[in-house]
Amino acid sequence: MNRPELRQALRRLLGPSDPEIGCDECFEQLDRYVELELVGGDADSAIPGLRAHLAGCPACREEHESLRALVGGEQAL
Amino acid sequence: MSAAAAVTVRRELVEPGLPVAQAAAPPTTPLDPQSREWLRSLRSVGAGRDAAVGRLHALLLRAARFEVARRRPMLPHLRGDDLDDVANQAADDALVSVLARLDSFRGASRFTTWAYKFALLEVAVKLRRRAWQGREVPLEPESWSLFSGSGLEPDEEAEQGELLAALQRGIEEALTKHQRRVLVALALNGVPIDVLAERLGTTRGALYKTLHDARRKLRRHLADLGLSLDSLEETDR
Repeated sequence: MNRPELRQALRRLLGPSDPEIGCDECFEQLDRYVELELVGGDADSAIPGLRAHLAGCPACREEHESLRALVGGEQAL
Repeated sequence: MSAAAAVTVRRELVEPGLPVAQAAAPPTTPLDPQSREWLRSLRSVGAGRDAAVGRLHALLLRAARFEVARRRPMLPHLRGDDLDDVANQAADDALVSVLARLDSFRGASRFTTWAYKFALLEVAVKLRRRAWQGREVPLEPESWSLFSGSGLEPDEEAEQGELLAALQRGIEEALTKHQRRVLVALALNGVPIDVLAERLGTTRGALYKTLHDARRKLRRHLADLGLSLDSLEETDR
């Protein structure tokens, strides 16, 4: 395993070092977070801890990417 | 943000996985006209409501099909019919969830964005569970070999070996049995959190709280040994 791969594996194991919210709160706030992101707002200040949670939770990260892609695609039409 | 809200947010950050009711509520904002119309029609009675429910189902089905299409390249074992079944089931389940939670919609986003997330969640959970159907969920370390050094300089390999040994000791000694199984399954063996929650008869939120506690203990264990991941992490930013 090279150094970048090690970093990735360790990050997956140890999770984010920053404070984070949990999965339930992430789901609760995800729609607002995505809309703030898409209009160029400061989503991370508005909803502290969500970005760190996405770094630590692959399932929530996938759902964030999907919602962002779906809503972003609609806005682009 | 009020002082009370700030305290609530802080507690949530320290203790992830708390029930949503304890979390800071998003600000209630005036609804945009389309969202107001969605709520009005879904709360009406008779044919008007039936038509609105039909429109909502169509909206959720579109989101579900979007998500299925996005994930399709990673699902070669599923046929088109299977995937359409997943999209339809997800839209049905999401419809029930959205209608049951209408009163919790505060207008922090557009109604459609809020509703979409239920359909996307249903698809994601169903597909993750299908992918693991009939497979054993590994709860013991299988992947330590992933950490083995290859193509590293001797000093890097020694550094990596020290860290790996400390991590293994931390997992064996610093964690409870439950924390160890959850950490190993989710973070080492790549078991999706929904799948593990279903197998262990618990919730995703509760599992993530356990994972978070295990990770915090491991970080503290490394810090006590004078090991830190900061340098590794900083170089990757």
